[in-house]
Amino acid sequence: MLRKLTFLAVSAVIAFGTLSFDLPQQSEDPGDRLIGIWEPSNGRSRIKIDRIGNKYYGRVVWLIESNDADGNPRTDINNPNPDLRNVPLRGFRMCKDFVYQGDDQWSEGTLYDPNNGSTYQGTITMRDMNTLDMRGYIGVEAIGRTDVWKRLKMPSRKKK
Amino acid sequence: MMRNFLKLTTAAIVLASTPVFAQTDGTADDDIDWSLYEDLGFEDESMKRYANAKIEGLSPAKLISIGYDFQGPYSIAAGDLTKADGTTLEGGDAMQVNSTAGIRAGFNLPVISQTNLVWQMGANYWNTSYNYAEAPTSSDNPLHQSLSEHGLRTSGISTTIYKPLDDTQFILFQGSADMSGTYGASAMPAQYLKYSAAALWGKRPTEKKQWGVGLARTYRVGELNYIPVILYNKTSANNKWGTEALFPARVHVRRTINPRNMVFLGYELQGQSFRMYENLPGFEQLRDEDLEIRRGEIRVRAVYEFSLKNFIWMSIQAGYRINYRYDVDRLVSGPDIYRAFGLIDGTPAYAQMNGLTNPFYVNISVNLVSP
Repeated sequence: MLRKLTFLAVSAVIAFGTLSFDLPQQSEDPGDRLIGIWEPSNGRSRIKIDRIGNKYYGRVVWLIESNDADGNPRTDINNPNPDLRNVPLRGFRMCKDFVYQGDDQWSEGTLYDPNNGSTYQGTITMRDMNTLDMRGYIGVEAIGRTDVWKRLKMPSRKKK
Repeated sequence: MMRNFLKLTTAAIVLASTPVFAQTDGTADDDIDWSLYEDLGFEDESMKRYANAKIEGLSPAKLISIGYDFQGPYSIAAGDLTKADGTTLEGGDAMQVNSTAGIRAGFNLPVISQTNLVWQMGANYWNTSYNYAEAPTSSDNPLHQSLSEHGLRTSGISTTIYKPLDDTQFILFQGSADMSGTYGASAMPAQYLKYSAAALWGKRPTEKKQWGVGLARTYRVGELNYIPVILYNKTSANNKWGTEALFPARVHVRRTINPRNMVFLGYELQGQSFRMYENLPGFEQLRDEDLEIRRGEIRVRAVYEFSLKNFIWMSIQAGYRINYRYDVDRLVSGPDIYRAFGLIDGTPAYAQMNGLTNPFYVNISVNLVSP
């Protein structure tokens, strides 16, 4: 009996862990609709947005060119801080500190562009569940650029 | 036994839950299976990927620009001023200009910036003042007195539309309406606006290359012309070198020291048709004709652009200004004359054929660049 219970419990736990990985996080917090994997308009990278505390962060999880011309993993070579230029781009947290403001908008965060090492103030507007307007700007929102990000399907765990 | 079961269950829950929390926290990268993110389709399968308007390594677009242009000493040889029937009204003469200088300001801001459409609107103002070595008088050819007293200026509006067709093809349209002339505080009537446009179809086969072909209506060499245009932007594999070209308007080779420091070598064609407006001294004898200075020049140059702080960039260019045309044209019945580089016979003769020697020049501007 106890062995059966143990087996059932472990099975349930494994199943829970797998499901929580395969499916989008279900949450009643409307800000959590931002959580997911997104592709910027240039298609060169994919960004996974998660929540830490009450803020949202996005890290690079895929690059179209993961290695540099020498075959080494690409690093943040354009970072204005020389000490950070060896940090790998894959895994880099390029969206930081976004806070949900209601009305499908997240703000107070920053966006980092590894192509030129620039950091912008940012706002995120969810146009629909699968489309984000990511606006990076300088000082005032009128002076900036909006990039459209599209939601990607969540990955399935690969069978080994 | 029950206690052991609870311990085991608790431990299993903690262990199994760790990856869940890891996705929302800074998991060590070694623990992440990056291959999971390789083959992902859009959640909304009707979505498409579109060719981006820019390529990797391209110099940043200037949103706002304020600059100053300065040409060194040169001479203007004004030709005979003639009537349409060939009668000479004023003889030609040459005068020395110490410098030609003026403010150049403009902005170009996005109106719509979406994956499938980019639309920008802009405006510009260029002023050119002529500083003669000796102030021209009524005894000199009237061209000198007009330039000395009035100078030339251009103000206009422009629009750029980028429309990707799919993930590699795109259409680019640029249009502008410019008011160019000798006008001063009061602007000229809208009937003197000059319209330029270019439309291109292009491809962006890789992240580091885009090209396009099209047709332009332009005044860049002074006269109205319809010419083919070729867009070609390319960045080398190591991002250190590049080409930025919209031939024949401008072609530059780029050396990227780093993304905040770039050096360019190349040329640009600059020009416009300037209406000689209102009471210009000496030209009263031709007031019944519409006169325009067809100014076109080639600027062979080196340009250094760098970030002063964040998105504030400075551009310093130095080069040689080569005169292509500086002739006074007559618009007998009003509309523009299309000469097709002299290939069309029977077009009216110029009212005045002028020659300029070629000076060195510098241009310095401070720019707010696009994120």
